[in-house]
Amino acid sequence: MPMQKQSLSKSLTLLFGIVVGLLVIWRVVTVGMAEGYPASFWISQGINGLVLGGVYALVALGYTLVYGILFMINFAHGEVMMLGGITGFFALQFAAAQGWMEGSTAVVVAALLFILVAGMLGSVVTGVALERLAYRPLRRAPRLVPLISAIGASLFLQYSVLLIFGVSPHSYRKPDLISGGIRTGDVFIPYTGLIIFVASILLMLGLYLIVQRTKLGRAMRAVAEDKDTASLMGVNVDAVIVATFVLGSALAGAAGVMLGFHNTVVKFNSGFIPGLKAFTAAVLGGIGNIPGAMFGALILGMIEALGPSALGIPTEYKDIIAFSVLVLILIFRPSGIFGEILSEKKA
Amino acid sequence: MKKGLNTGLTAFAVLTYLILIGLPTRLEGAAQPVLALLLALFFFAVLRSQGKEMGRGELLQSGLVAGLVAGLLVVAEIGFFVGLLADGVKIQPVFDKVVPLNMAALLNVRAGAIINGETSLLAYAILTAYLTGAGLLGGLLVLFTRSGTASTVRSTRIPGGRWLVILLPFLLFAFIYYLGLDGVKTFGNDKNIVRLLLVLVATGAGLFALAAAKEGVEKLAIGGLLAGVLLFLPFVLNQFQNSVMSIVFIFVMMGLGLNIVVGYAGLLDLGYVAFFAIGAYVYAFVAAPFSSPYISSLLTGMGISPDSPLLGYWSAIPLAMITAAIGGVLLGIPVLRLRGDYLAIVTLGFGEIIRLFMLNLGDLTNGPRGLLQIAQPTLFGVAPSALTSHLDAQGWIFLLAIFGSAVVAFVAIRLNDSRLGRAWVAMREDEDVAQATGIHLVQTKLLAFAIGATFAGLAGQLYAARQINIFPENFSLFVSIDALALIIVGGMGSIPGVVLGALALKGLPEVLRGVDEYRIVAFATLLIVMMIVRPEGILPSARRRRELHSAEAPPPDESDVSDKPTDGQLEGGRA
Repeated sequence: MPMQKQSLSKSLTLLFGIVVGLLVIWRVVTVGMAEGYPASFWISQGINGLVLGGVYALVALGYTLVYGILFMINFAHGEVMMLGGITGFFALQFAAAQGWMEGSTAVVVAALLFILVAGMLGSVVTGVALERLAYRPLRRAPRLVPLISAIGASLFLQYSVLLIFGVSPHSYRKPDLISGGIRTGDVFIPYTGLIIFVASILLMLGLYLIVQRTKLGRAMRAVAEDKDTASLMGVNVDAVIVATFVLGSALAGAAGVMLGFHNTVVKFNSGFIPGLKAFTAAVLGGIGNIPGAMFGALILGMIEALGPSALGIPTEYKDIIAFSVLVLILIFRPSGIFGEILSEKKA
Repeated sequence: MKKGLNTGLTAFAVLTYLILIGLPTRLEGAAQPVLALLLALFFFAVLRSQGKEMGRGELLQSGLVAGLVAGLLVVAEIGFFVGLLADGVKIQPVFDKVVPLNMAALLNVRAGAIINGETSLLAYAILTAYLTGAGLLGGLLVLFTRSGTASTVRSTRIPGGRWLVILLPFLLFAFIYYLGLDGVKTFGNDKNIVRLLLVLVATGAGLFALAAAKEGVEKLAIGGLLAGVLLFLPFVLNQFQNSVMSIVFIFVMMGLGLNIVVGYAGLLDLGYVAFFAIGAYVYAFVAAPFSSPYISSLLTGMGISPDSPLLGYWSAIPLAMITAAIGGVLLGIPVLRLRGDYLAIVTLGFGEIIRLFMLNLGDLTNGPRGLLQIAQPTLFGVAPSALTSHLDAQGWIFLLAIFGSAVVAFVAIRLNDSRLGRAWVAMREDEDVAQATGIHLVQTKLLAFAIGATFAGLAGQLYAARQINIFPENFSLFVSIDALALIIVGGMGSIPGVVLGALALKGLPEVLRGVDEYRIVAFATLLIVMMIVRPEGILPSARRRRELHSAEAPPPDESDVSDKPTDGQLEGGRA
């Protein structure tokens, strides 16, 4: 009997999936025939999608790293990113006050690196404090307990920033060096977009090398596999968990600074929606899987950039598209596109 | 010594945070004593947990050192800020709340003295003394409370203490009634707030009385008496107090519904606001059809005038409930296979989707301009305020909210004791085992979502009537967070806990209007602290308390599994 019921639920989901798939295809085809955007439009949108995807990827990696090791969703990770953006903003103010932003190319590049590192540091401090205060005491608690604590931490960080730094949004002023862009025909690529994409690829490569080639990476993989056995093998589990938060937060901090330059503004809640999107990306690629998070993020960025025009709906609905992708992925392939087939318990 | 130093440093961090968020500015003249009191409580909590082995002298020394360290560091920090401010350096572009008024409140001097750089050393010394005193007070409090160890305190109860707990709410209510006799509606603003606070405290005390009462006749009698007092309240409170109490009880309805989904069935739903919104909007569509461009044109096309409500409040109840239940099932079907954290994120997304639709479907929902002039509930076609001068519009909503909460609580209690209730608990504990014992998972989960959603729909309808005008921003994520926070703080799975949570989290912020901007930060801190210190809530159900504390004190018959009992009790284990 239970077998039959299980299959009823499965066939219901399958039916639902087919209906949704057909509806989306029908919509895309009819809109595509009616609207007829030029190719350059799609290329520009695709480039936007890649840039967005690069930022999501950096944040998504933080979710994936922490999930891989602790099996918990670090709900406050978006806020860790936002704090990187805020710290970066103050570093930018400082650099501008020293006159570094009007100097020679080398000085401006050095100043930009300084801002990036400051943002990463800000995020690392936040991430480590978060782990120490809100998550470590709950490591042995039932699964729902750290999640609720994480929701609390997310709200706490958002509204503390609002109270401490005030309501007015913090605007990033781009130096002249990176405020232009490349124009080929009808396609325009802003320098910030280019920098974000290249920098995120480099950072991801660095992370991949750390996880695969170093002793710390091996310890992280061991802890992800089995905490107790790893500690028997002489791995300091607490230290590895902290290192994981450091790596994830540093990437999020870089994302926060780059998003600050790209959107030109950072606010107390500007980490929340990107955080959710990055989580979606991590799930899309298979949570716990590092390359999966990168590709998932790039795919999500593209879907978000192209989706509204392809479906012929206003761009205000782009968040709805991202959430719908999350729901659909979780229903039909909870292990993600590249994910290993997780055991029922992990999913 | 070293522990005291660490505690002092932590306290310094906490104080710095409070200064940066600008709490002293709000406290004005009372900043020093209030901060010292908060600090003393903090030291009390820390010292009590780490000072179990300490002797008397060591404990006091620890407190003294911690207080002194915190005090000196904070004073140095304030001195630094004051120096900058006196030099005319603008700190505000970075730290928004570090302004002369803030520093003046901390040092208990005039703001002018800060700007002109006329602060005396004495002011700093007094603040240091206050904070050092707080450390000492924290140590003394620990000494005082542990004079008997915890277990002996519990076994040697004060004789008649139980009756004191039971009688307390009635004494409080009597006191409120006494206060209210000389002109209920003519109180000044402050007394207004004080009486509201008393009502909240008395109602909360009633819940503790109910918990202290013995099962059977005693519980029934006290419950009945409390219900009688509660029903009397809407007639004696004024408009403002009634409006606060009505929102408290609307959230009791919400909390009881969410309690079924989260507390009983263990499905963490962060998009609960969606059903609340559905209930509110459905009622608004039928009670104010002229507000929605689409519906009014539809009605005009059918030859019906959109100017009058289509349905009254009572006849709209089934509609709101059924629509919300359909919403619950529609959300439930796709997430059937998800567990735990994934479910939380998907439901969060669902809540956002509903809000975005309300915002962007301008034709139907009138977008951010909202639906206006929603018809008020009546009693057999008559407005109750026309029947008696003692009941104002908000009091009537409060009365309806009490009735609604009672109905929802009754259904929840009966469900908890039913076959379905046990199926929910079994499913929460372990889905696979539950299925193996013959529980139909699909049906059980969908029923949890549908019933929870129904109650939220009912609450949403009353909320729409209370607000008269509703806008999409009334239905943000924070409604879900509030509802979740109140069941967690009160006690998951426990009905008195939900009421207590609503009183504390929806009622108290109204009393503390002056510090309203700190509400969310305080909630968030409360969520984290509760999870660490008391995850079962203040008034937990007996079952939940045993579950969450089985690791610390395993009952003898379960000791063979006590090495991993905390894993996955809420929704199945993890790898």
